[in-house]
Amino acid sequence: MSQPAKGNPPLPWGSGPYSIKRHGTTLATCDSEPIQTPGCIQAHGALLVLRLGDLKILQASENTLQHLGEHAWSLLGHPVARVVGAAREARLREMLARDALDAGPAFAFTLPARAGMAALDVCVHTSGGAAVLEFEGTGRAETRADEDFFMLVKAAVGRLQAPTSVRAFCQQVTQEVRAVTGLDRVMAYRFHADHHGEVIAESKRDTLDPWLGLHYPAADIPQPAREIFKRIWIRPLPDAAGPLVELVPLVNPDTGLALDMTHCALRGASVMYSEYLANMGVAASLTMPIMRDGELWGLIACHNYTTTHFSYEVRAACELLSQVASLKLKSAEQAEQLAYRLKLEDVHQLLVVRSAREGDLLALTAYEPSLLDAIDAGGAALYHLNRWWCVGSVPELAQLDQLAAWLHERPEFTSATRPVFVTDALASVCPAAVGLEDVASGLLATVFLRRRRGLLVWFRPQTMHTVKWAGNPNDKPQSPGPHGMRLSPRVSFETFIESVRGRSLPWSDIEVDAALRLRLLVLELVIARNERLADLNADLTRSNEELDAFAYVASHDLKEPLRGIHRYAHQLLEAAEAGSGDQAENLQRVESLMRLTLRMDSLLDSLLHFSRVGRMELELEAADLNGVVADAIEMTGARRSDSHCRIDVPRPLPVVQCDPVRVCEIYSNLLANALKYKRHAEAHIEVGYIGAGEAGARPNAPATTAGQDIFYVRDDGIGIDERHYEQVFRLFKRMHGRDEYGGGVGIGLTIVQKLVNRHGGRVWIDSSLGVGTTFYFTLPGARLGPG
Amino acid sequence: MRARHIMVVEDSDEDFDTVQDAARRSDMLHPIVRARSGGECLSLLRSSRGCRDPQTLLMLLDLNTPGDDGRAVLLAVRHDETLGTLPVVVLSASANARDRQFCYANGANAYHVKPVDHSLHLRLLQDIFAYWLVSVVLPA
Repeated sequence: MSQPAKGNPPLPWGSGPYSIKRHGTTLATCDSEPIQTPGCIQAHGALLVLRLGDLKILQASENTLQHLGEHAWSLLGHPVARVVGAAREARLREMLARDALDAGPAFAFTLPARAGMAALDVCVHTSGGAAVLEFEGTGRAETRADEDFFMLVKAAVGRLQAPTSVRAFCQQVTQEVRAVTGLDRVMAYRFHADHHGEVIAESKRDTLDPWLGLHYPAADIPQPAREIFKRIWIRPLPDAAGPLVELVPLVNPDTGLALDMTHCALRGASVMYSEYLANMGVAASLTMPIMRDGELWGLIACHNYTTTHFSYEVRAACELLSQVASLKLKSAEQAEQLAYRLKLEDVHQLLVVRSAREGDLLALTAYEPSLLDAIDAGGAALYHLNRWWCVGSVPELAQLDQLAAWLHERPEFTSATRPVFVTDALASVCPAAVGLEDVASGLLATVFLRRRRGLLVWFRPQTMHTVKWAGNPNDKPQSPGPHGMRLSPRVSFETFIESVRGRSLPWSDIEVDAALRLRLLVLELVIARNERLADLNADLTRSNEELDAFAYVASHDLKEPLRGIHRYAHQLLEAAEAGSGDQAENLQRVESLMRLTLRMDSLLDSLLHFSRVGRMELELEAADLNGVVADAIEMTGARRSDSHCRIDVPRPLPVVQCDPVRVCEIYSNLLANALKYKRHAEAHIEVGYIGAGEAGARPNAPATTAGQDIFYVRDDGIGIDERHYEQVFRLFKRMHGRDEYGGGVGIGLTIVQKLVNRHGGRVWIDSSLGVGTTFYFTLPGARLGPG
Repeated sequence: MRARHIMVVEDSDEDFDTVQDAARRSDMLHPIVRARSGGECLSLLRSSRGCRDPQTLLMLLDLNTPGDDGRAVLLAVRHDETLGTLPVVVLSASANARDRQFCYANGANAYHVKPVDHSLHLRLLQDIFAYWLVSVVLPA
């Protein structure tokens, strides 16, 4: 409820002193009620106001006859010794001189029982330049007299030392308070950012209905009450429906001011509050604040269903517990936040690791845990690669698209480090969200890969749909007081519902930070995935090119012998039909047929081999190239006496990481080539390498081979025209006629190039016609040892 | 004046025999000069260049020959002043789109796919001779 606006009718008590008894209050004015100066006290005790200078009685509660044996009017103007005796007056004087007693009542003494009057505990404090004495029954007969409260409280405080979460901590606090007070119900009540309250812990008599988890509208605890709880540590109301008695006179005759009763234990309760309690069936209440950083964080609210008595010791113990709770709350919050932060981090890491493994962001939403298991939300959605991935309760896809369009216009999204948009009342800022309050009142969104409009969004429904409100219309109605049912949680729920419509629980800093960290993880994942897609695309392009080459040779080179075969068969058929034909000519045709089928066979074999070379797994190992080359020489038969060649290996070759069987094939093909295209009767071949770090020419070496060992096979053969450097590697491409230089299908160098490429290397040529050719290649597997 | 000849660039002996066979069946009088590779063809053309009267009447060009292939021959012919108008008929094993595009873009006069069926192959060659040596009026 808001402060009355200017121009409202004047308050009923005008500028004069206020008294609950005379003026009461109405709902409309309850935020203006002067609850510090109620003019009245609870009738179960008596109160005297003394002038500090001479301790003479200035004001007295109108019930002094009952508690102190004399009418109020007969006490006024007399020294307090008239009530407590000279010795106690001296003690009071001593206390007032020694301590500043303006922060709350201190126990002064117990006034023994007298004829017809119970023993009274007397507390003293100062307020507005006067001493205030409060007299209350000791209640010793009713409490467990032998209890050592110091020990009890010490043990309770000890149990509050190691909080793990706010709720667990508050649960412990409620149990300790209930153990000390023995009251029917003790609750920890927490204020949310919008001031509405929630019962977050409860300790109660077994037979009572649980109120744990219920939310209460902000108006249930009016602003003046919140303010007063910032200044006092305890508020006892042992008989909520009990009578109130006024001070006589109502104002201090010395100052003309009403007594500020902020610290008075006997302070009369607002009619609103006592009626509110009565409407809930509560007969007595004890309330302590939980403070954090000077702000009212919550309350420890105790209810009893019968009137009771709060002894001074019980109150002192509760005050202490409430102070300890306030001190410890922060570390409980920190522990809880740390735990929440760690949980968010854990779940998010798990999500991303799984997504990386699945290679799919779908993993963020499709399995347990999902995006919803970390940040507390009703639904979550991810937009990536032109589609939404959703989990939990989220808007329809068309609505998501509209929201996304709106979000991408947010200036917050342009931040490089914190591109996040957060709201707990989306519909109030985003027209597209009107009507989505049940799903998306709260929204936490962050953008990744802005150009591709990637979004991570969490949704929260409006609060009124997520929490259990006290005063739910389905609850059993209470019997109404004089103000009717207006003063009950149910009614204040009705009035409050408007203020929480379209509003969600707010997002915490931890959640926003976690969303931003998840964004970074997703970003890494998406980027890694894009790189892999690029790799796959390159692979695909390569294999498409290979397929093209394959189709090309299949149509060209395989058809050639086929055409010849058909031709000879055709001619044989013609000859047979004519019944003629030269026997020798026909024989030659059949021989040609057989030759062509064999050629076809070797072309097909070569093609299959080439295809296998492209697909088989390399078996990499540290291989000594000296052994590999020796095997290759053996295979080509170059060592045979009739081979007419000399092969030099000028220095030992290194050990390299490679598939030795395949590298042997590279060498044997290159050696076979050198042997085939020789210029002299005796070919001279050199097999060697140029070390990565060695000075010297690296002719024609591609730039990408910088820093790599270069291996070579050099011959003194016929050489290759520079125009043909590329063509010689083409499948089935031959530089010479079919039967020149020993024939062949034209696959050797194609295989060499493929095998070198499979090792991540390059192969190239340096040659001069009529001088010789050098084939160079690299095997970028790390060189493991010296030659 | 010597009879002008037909240049046949063909590395396959069988295919060349088929060309000769078709020429015989067409009663073609022009002598046939064979080049087994693109390189051989180019050197033959170069040796005859300089003659006032280009001696080559028509070229049958196989695309895939050893060394410099039919593509290189086509480019060389089309970039040569005296040979620029020589009709070049491409004979290829396949109808590969890239090959066709290349040949027509570089001035081939026709592009044919060699059939595997021998009688179709023969007929194709006879049709070529009939068209290019009879129907068509060739450059002067």
